[in-house]
Amino acid sequence: MIYVSQLLGQKVWDAFGREVGRLEDILIDSTEKNVPPVVALSLKEPQQNLQFISAINIASLWPSVTLKTAHEKIIPYNTSGHELYLNDRVMDQQIVDIEGKRLVRVNDIQLARSGDRFLLTGVDVSGRGLMRRLGIEKIGESISRAFGNRVETEVIPWRVIASIEHDDPLRLQVSQNKLRKMPPADIASIIDDLDHHTTNALLQGFDNQVLADTLEESSSDLQVSILSNLSPERAADVLEEMDPDEAADLLADLPGQASETLLSLMEIDDADEVRSLLAYPEDSAGGIMTTEFASVPNVLNVSSALEYLRNSKDALEDEVMYYIHIVDPQGRLRGIVTLRDLVMADQDSPLDPWEEAIPITVTPFTKHKEVAYLIAKYDLLSIPVVEEDTEVIVGIVTVDDALDSVLPTAWKKRLPRFF
Amino acid sequence: MKKLKLPTWIRKIGLFLAVLGPGIITASADNDAPGIATYSMAGSTYGYSFLFIIFVVTIGEVVIQEMAARMGVVTGKGTADLIRERFGVKVTAFAMLSLLLANLGTTVAQFAGIAASAELFGVSRYIAAPLAALLVGFFVLRGSYKHVEKILLILSLSAIGYVVTVILVDPPWGEVLRNIVVPQFSLEPSFILAVLATIGTTITPWGIFYMQASVADKGLKISDYKLTKIDVTFGATWGNIISAFIVICTAATLFDHGISVENAEQAAMALAPLAGDAARVLFSAGLLGASLLAVSVLPLSTTYAFCEAFGFERGLNRSIKEAPAFYSIYLGIIVLSVLIVLIPGLPLFPIMWISQTVNAILLPVLLVLVLKLSNNENLMGKWKNKAPQNMLAIMLTILISIVTVLLLVTSFISPSQIQ
Repeated sequence: MIYVSQLLGQKVWDAFGREVGRLEDILIDSTEKNVPPVVALSLKEPQQNLQFISAINIASLWPSVTLKTAHEKIIPYNTSGHELYLNDRVMDQQIVDIEGKRLVRVNDIQLARSGDRFLLTGVDVSGRGLMRRLGIEKIGESISRAFGNRVETEVIPWRVIASIEHDDPLRLQVSQNKLRKMPPADIASIIDDLDHHTTNALLQGFDNQVLADTLEESSSDLQVSILSNLSPERAADVLEEMDPDEAADLLADLPGQASETLLSLMEIDDADEVRSLLAYPEDSAGGIMTTEFASVPNVLNVSSALEYLRNSKDALEDEVMYYIHIVDPQGRLRGIVTLRDLVMADQDSPLDPWEEAIPITVTPFTKHKEVAYLIAKYDLLSIPVVEEDTEVIVGIVTVDDALDSVLPTAWKKRLPRFF
Repeated sequence: MKKLKLPTWIRKIGLFLAVLGPGIITASADNDAPGIATYSMAGSTYGYSFLFIIFVVTIGEVVIQEMAARMGVVTGKGTADLIRERFGVKVTAFAMLSLLLANLGTTVAQFAGIAASAELFGVSRYIAAPLAALLVGFFVLRGSYKHVEKILLILSLSAIGYVVTVILVDPPWGEVLRNIVVPQFSLEPSFILAVLATIGTTITPWGIFYMQASVADKGLKISDYKLTKIDVTFGATWGNIISAFIVICTAATLFDHGISVENAEQAAMALAPLAGDAARVLFSAGLLGASLLAVSVLPLSTTYAFCEAFGFERGLNRSIKEAPAFYSIYLGIIVLSVLIVLIPGLPLFPIMWISQTVNAILLPVLLVLVLKLSNNENLMGKWKNKAPQNMLAIMLTILISIVTVLLLVTSFISPSQIQ
């Protein structure tokens, strides 16, 4: 394996052993996603005004950088703008390891020879890479061996790396495509560690759905920061894609004027749902409930109820739809049936049997801790939120939202970063 | 692209409050335990003549902190990140070891402060220092130190006691003012040591990192930079006004009576005109608050910077197994500092201020890097340093280097004069 750190600054020789210059940087083809080839070398102190020489000239890179041809016959390289400068733009930068779902720093870069070409295989993020850069790889190795453990080189393959330079649109797009494959919670925890310029550049390129999912998993500081960097129209679109309860929480963190502006730009249905949620305190069932839940009129029988669900917009937007809420014409909760029972039941029977058991409910003003307690006590997946006086069902609190609200905040919150 | 719009005046106030902070916090950190010790020692030993040094150091601090804040706003990255990305592993290793050493010295000083204030109450340092370490470790590792922070901030406000005392004792104001602007310097090794300690406790490597990171972390926009600049200038000036008051206070109460402070008992007497017999309580409460505050922030932030620069897994939300380097460095700093303070017979008060000379001696290393970064066209664009900023910063760097060399030379010639 060849490490870029060992090549930089080395003298470059032509076929007759004459010095051509010193190696300053290695250029790869950045349009190739998996194993990009080396396309050129960049020289400092070049002997004949040859700053870039084509990779075709290379005879060997290690142990010495030697060219195939004589000085005079070197084929120069004309940059096209699709090159990635390994030393300048990759070495020592932060990158996202998509598989490990973490942010790491590039300690070294690994190249491999394949026939006539040199390929970029991966980046070294290990302590061993650091020691190599410091020129103490041998010493470090013997010390750690004396302590009974080996320092392994840890190379991450280039194909699972998203490098994140906000000022390079082409690479940014490649990175965005890679990042999108990660679960939103992992994207959120990574962008939380990134600087604001990079975060904004990355997120601008995400589509509204991915952006909405990522926002839902982010800390409220970050949410506000990201949203205020979008145009109001885009911000409103993203809010529509978010769960109404999450959108309401976010809007509650914005200054009144700004959240009004955004609400007025949202679709009326979505805005109304969010508005109704904003009316409840943040630590109450009303503050954490979602208004998107599956319900069926109590007058139907099983098969028509299933048919009804298929065409119901609320059911479509229900995150999980384990429970189907049976309501009367006034919107009062009459009973709950699991989707499983409904599917397995005799298709012609009425919904009456499920209206006998009195469902466990909370009011919009029940404290969130109490909600979580009830959900845990009765082993529920969600709990209906019912207006106290009218008995009308206004939403449900799902088990994950209930958990979120009682987990110790110190654990969930990002630690203040001092440096 | 249109941004969220708010009424201008709300936006302005909100912005000022959002921006306000890093400068003030960094400045209050000037008056931590080593700070109080240094200024007390200097004021009681050299009287009003030391005010000129405070004046020069204030200008230095404003210039340097402004550079750090500007880099934070423009790049959105921390100092350690920039050093690593621009200068590679070797320079980073050197810079980070310097930072680690300087901060270790300061952490020792903070524990010495805790021990000294405990001893004022007759509590042995062998109980106080380990107990404080346990408490701080507990709160910080649980991530719940935010609640404690406020109490500590209030405790450390007792530095204001010096201002009140000065008003009470009514020093000869004409002489005080004259001494601020009339240059006075001595080549005595002990004076040079005092100057270095003052520089080291005011313009700290820690302060530079903290300033840049907190500005970057807030995601401030460059268009709001004017406010940040006000905050930084105001904060640094405010912190140094308090420092000047400590010098004036100790000069008026101790220097005029021929007492040169050598221990915490004597230092507390400076507050006697204000608090009478309770001076000792006021002094040790302030010392304790400031020390505990610094001990909760400093080791953790040092560890963050170190791990960030080398790409180690970091953060209190990682487990010890996931982030071994992070936890070992953090615990290492605390344990080592406590052990040093527990060395039998170690004079606590001198440790508090002499440790600050380490900061000053290592500062030029960091200043050179900061200067190179803030002059980098690629990085800073049109926000790179202007000529006056460079001139002042370069002068400061040279000044510190000269003073360091002077110290070595003079103490070599007359070693007996060092305390």
